[in-house]
Amino acid sequence: MTALLIGLLIPLASGGDTPWILLLGPAGAVAVYWGLFQYYRNTDKSHSFERETRIESKPIAGTDQKVDEVRGTRRPSIEGDNVRNHRQRVRRW
Amino acid sequence: MSDSEATPAEVAAAAQPPDTPGPQTVDTSNEALRDGVNRCPKCGSTDIQLRVSAGMLVCLFCRYEWSEAMIEPKVSGEAPLQDLTDTVVASGATDISPEVSGVITLKCAGCGSEVVVNTAAAMSSRCHWCRHVLTINEQVPNGAVPDAVLPFGITRDQALQHIRDFAGARRMFAHRRFRSDFAPEKVVGVYLPYMVVDGNASADVQGFGEVETRRYTRKQGDQEVTYYDADVYQVGRHVDFTVDDLTIESSAERANMNAFVNTNNVINTILPFDTKNAVQWNANYLVGFTSERRDQDVAQVQPVLEDQLLSIARSQVEGSVARYNRGVRWEAEHLSVHGTRWVSMYLPVWLYSFYSEENGRAMVHYIAVNGRTGETMGSIPVSQGRLILAALTVGTVLEGIALWLLVVMS
Repeated sequence: MTALLIGLLIPLASGGDTPWILLLGPAGAVAVYWGLFQYYRNTDKSHSFERETRIESKPIAGTDQKVDEVRGTRRPSIEGDNVRNHRQRVRRW
Repeated sequence: MSDSEATPAEVAAAAQPPDTPGPQTVDTSNEALRDGVNRCPKCGSTDIQLRVSAGMLVCLFCRYEWSEAMIEPKVSGEAPLQDLTDTVVASGATDISPEVSGVITLKCAGCGSEVVVNTAAAMSSRCHWCRHVLTINEQVPNGAVPDAVLPFGITRDQALQHIRDFAGARRMFAHRRFRSDFAPEKVVGVYLPYMVVDGNASADVQGFGEVETRRYTRKQGDQEVTYYDADVYQVGRHVDFTVDDLTIESSAERANMNAFVNTNNVINTILPFDTKNAVQWNANYLVGFTSERRDQDVAQVQPVLEDQLLSIARSQVEGSVARYNRGVRWEAEHLSVHGTRWVSMYLPVWLYSFYSEENGRAMVHYIAVNGRTGETMGSIPVSQGRLILAALTVGTVLEGIALWLLVVMS
């Protein structure tokens, strides 16, 4: 039902005449469903070993080299930002 | 002895191919208990069990209390973790041999009769002739006897209260069968098998980061649109680090954490344990509790360890790239593990399980309580009807407010 509502309202809201505020209802319904579901089922929980393990590291070494400039982008952050997503594996070498 | 005439130690030796270079092994076997009869050091009785409130073994005959020695000094020694350069495996964490039966026959030191113990279900048995309690103390290579055990420190009553509080706060949208059949007194104390790993590693990560240099708005029709300029940097980081007592599931079933088909993730969430307080193995710590046998070897757990070490490395370098206020996209990573030390351990968990079927799909929902810290996490089956009704109610109210605002502003 909620998905149906969103499906109907997104095209409406994206049209120039219909304000985005009409998405408030469907978005609120989805947020309430997902929030309550997670409060009960906790499917997203796991041991935070990155913070809860005794870790000692030496000072971080590294390199930073300017290679390019971006002008006039509408993206508020770098594409594919994964600096906080420590568990997302990337190519290993 | 067992299903053959060989002793467990002989079977273990036979299971190892001769002259195969392998990891260093630290012997953690409890020599004092070799005959399988654990006697009270004071009166000699074999009626012994754990007194949870004190974390000590207690003789049920003379009430003397004592504890086994800590495992940490035995496996770690004095050398700092930065000097760890080999793979060191404690004797209770060595590879499981498929030829070794889980059914062990012990010779009673009291009367000489033979007593069978099925290690899949129990780690002790009472001699049916002389009433001595016989326990599995020798590290048979079937995964049943770990290097160490961390005794329960949270009592059953405390665990019951944690479970009641957890479920009580989640009654309104719980499935009606859960609400009617919830019986926390069915909680069981279980020792679950883990590999506790120390590691010395280095990691490198490569990627790109962006620093915002300018932010401005342009008019597009009636709307103001924000644009950004940024400098792009190629970023590389290197970190040398050690981890102390990283705890990883060593049962394949528990390690399978797919939240769509099971709720094992809630048991994982109650980690960590105070593993520094783990003591040398003594099967009497398990009297009155159940246990699950380890079925994963070091090689099978290694990929999980490497994955976690990489995550830790990424977490460690995060602070060093804070200047990239538009974020960093890591594209490649490299891990060098210089040395690891593996100890198998039984860790205490109070577990309440609830079997549920939704849309023909069966699932066991756990509420788990850390047997040392009391940290509680669980999964409660939900009533989808109530949940959707609540969501639609809130959605309708918000939509009403949105429409009202539109009317007022127009």
